[in-house]
Amino acid sequence: MRSLLLAVLAAYIVAAIHAILAFVNKRKALHRISLWSLAAGFALHTAALLADWIIDGHYPLFYRRETLSFLAWTLAATYGLVLFRYGTQALGAFILPPISVLVFIAAIIQSDSNTAVSASGFSTTWLFPVHTTLVIFAYAAFFVVFLASSMYLFQERALKLKTFGAAFHRLPSLTTVNEIATSAAAIGLTMLTVGIATGMMWSASRDGHIWRNDPKEIFAALTWLLYLLLIIYRSTAGWRGRRAAWLGVAGFALVLCTFFGARLMGGYHVFG
Amino acid sequence: MSKNPNEPMSIVLVGVNHKTAPVEMRELLAFSEEACTEGLRLLVDGEVVREGLIVSTCNRVEVVAATTTEKMQEGTERISDFLSVSRNLPRDFFYDHVYNRTEEDAVRHLFRVTSSLDSMVVGEPQVLGQVRRAYSLALEAGTAGRVLNRLVHHAFHVAKRVRTETGIAANAVSISYMAVELGKKIFNTLKGHSVLLIGGGEMAELSARHLINAGAEGVLIANRTVETAERLAAEFNGTAISLNDLPDYLAEADIVICSTGAEDYVVTEALARKALEERRNRPAFFIDISVPRNVDPAIGELPNMFVFDIDDLEAVVTSNIREREKEAERAELIVESEIMQFQQALRALDFGPTIGALRQKLQDIARLELARQKNRLGQLTPEQERAVEALLLSTVNKISHPVLSQMRRSYEASDIETIQAWRDIFGLEE
Repeated sequence: MRSLLLAVLAAYIVAAIHAILAFVNKRKALHRISLWSLAAGFALHTAALLADWIIDGHYPLFYRRETLSFLAWTLAATYGLVLFRYGTQALGAFILPPISVLVFIAAIIQSDSNTAVSASGFSTTWLFPVHTTLVIFAYAAFFVVFLASSMYLFQERALKLKTFGAAFHRLPSLTTVNEIATSAAAIGLTMLTVGIATGMMWSASRDGHIWRNDPKEIFAALTWLLYLLLIIYRSTAGWRGRRAAWLGVAGFALVLCTFFGARLMGGYHVFG
Repeated sequence: MSKNPNEPMSIVLVGVNHKTAPVEMRELLAFSEEACTEGLRLLVDGEVVREGLIVSTCNRVEVVAATTTEKMQEGTERISDFLSVSRNLPRDFFYDHVYNRTEEDAVRHLFRVTSSLDSMVVGEPQVLGQVRRAYSLALEAGTAGRVLNRLVHHAFHVAKRVRTETGIAANAVSISYMAVELGKKIFNTLKGHSVLLIGGGEMAELSARHLINAGAEGVLIANRTVETAERLAAEFNGTAISLNDLPDYLAEADIVICSTGAEDYVVTEALARKALEERRNRPAFFIDISVPRNVDPAIGELPNMFVFDIDDLEAVVTSNIREREKEAERAELIVESEIMQFQQALRALDFGPTIGALRQKLQDIARLELARQKNRLGQLTPEQERAVEALLLSTVNKISHPVLSQMRRSYEASDIETIQAWRDIFGLEE
């Protein structure tokens, strides 16, 4: 499925370049090209994941290559949703490049056959794929929170300092990015909650443990707490604006630790 | 209205604008709409000036005309005479202030005017509407024909390209409009957002009006004088409140415009803190147009509160104007490329004469062939000879007629692409 993934990569790169050009030059035509290539890339990507699933016989979210590819797919889907709901084209210039990088890494990783753990034991129950899928979607939502919060902070600073560059004029309004961050955080938190719960259930059904003090689990719990706090503060309105945005940015650092850091520290969650 | 449609046509333009003539002169040269219609009929004589259009705004008077290429110079003279006669002014009066442009330069000028590159405030949107209006007046007067139709439509096309492909009209360049732009940046839409106007004065009222036009709802007016408050409340369909009640109402406003003659802060930090709490941290936007300032700048340090004083607004306006000027350079490139395209289209419109020549050429071929084969036909009576010639010519005409009339139709419809195709088919490049 390597060639299919390369086609996906090409489409995403075209989309990313046009999104950046559209952002810089403010051209609608460029944005349209970006959208069409993203749509094409996403369709191919979906096909690639399905093909992986059928050919390899397990849900395509287990090995590192699969995880990165799946994460990219999730981000593309999330971007599509945000675009549909808020029409914020500017987001594309920031979300499409990382998507392309993820697919690129997924495409150059040779094979996961040298991994000690085999996928076969995990796909027997539906709980495991649900757990991983939800967690990945939560990560994507938190990335959107991060982007929207950064845009908020950047513009808020510009408004306070009264110096407006070209980027300032092209970004969505404070209210819009604030709304995006709030709803993405709420959706992300819900997914993370259910994701962690299914993970626990799966683990319990497998060997009776629901918690193992694994680094990934600890980070995930911290992440969960932080976004819970963010939601509570936002809904009580005390932390609207800058402070909530800072939390949205800081929260993503924790997400990164959960995603990559745990791998470095070893532990039970060795995959994904 | 053209006497003979088969002559090559050119564009000429005579005009004054804010750069070449003072307002006193522009006033005297300006045309009202009625004067415009009347003037156009006077200007277009069908001989020298075939088509005409007058764009008259407070910043410019431009007379655009289509003449035959041959009579271009006479055309510009005629327009100057026309200005003198119809405005009842001696030519010497405006002679030094008027510019004459012909052909490419005239096209460039009209394109730049329509795209708002020649405006006092580059990128202002009104001029496009003014050219549109001038064009419809010319259509009503029947003085816009094939050449000007194409020219004006091309000018609209250029204006649209400039507007969408450059940021020439992107950012506000007036202080009153800045309020709308910043309001949108903070609130995304002004719909459902309320305005509190403290004090009054031209700029503050204009800002409030812009905000309301952009969708702001619910206007509160606080003014020291009851009459002024009530007048403004009536004008903006808002509610007048007393200045003393300001602490009670401040939290209700999303956008506060402050412009009073007070020597001290009217909106103090303590007041703003209280409002922020009551607003549950919802953002608020303060525009302080007063000198000395009426809104404590320390409020700008509070979260979710944004304060802009007159200097801040002016600085942003200045930088936006610079930004527009940069964008204008890109717009000039678009104009240049479009001039070439228009000139090509205009030359394609000179296709009329070619159609006539083509018919002649086909008939000449028939006659030539007859002359060549005459000896072989033996001795013919004059009647027979005429019959043979008629036979040949009518065959040629019958065959070529549908083709030629189709060509003429494409010519009349100014269908440039098809005309180009005809040219290629018959090798009519010269």
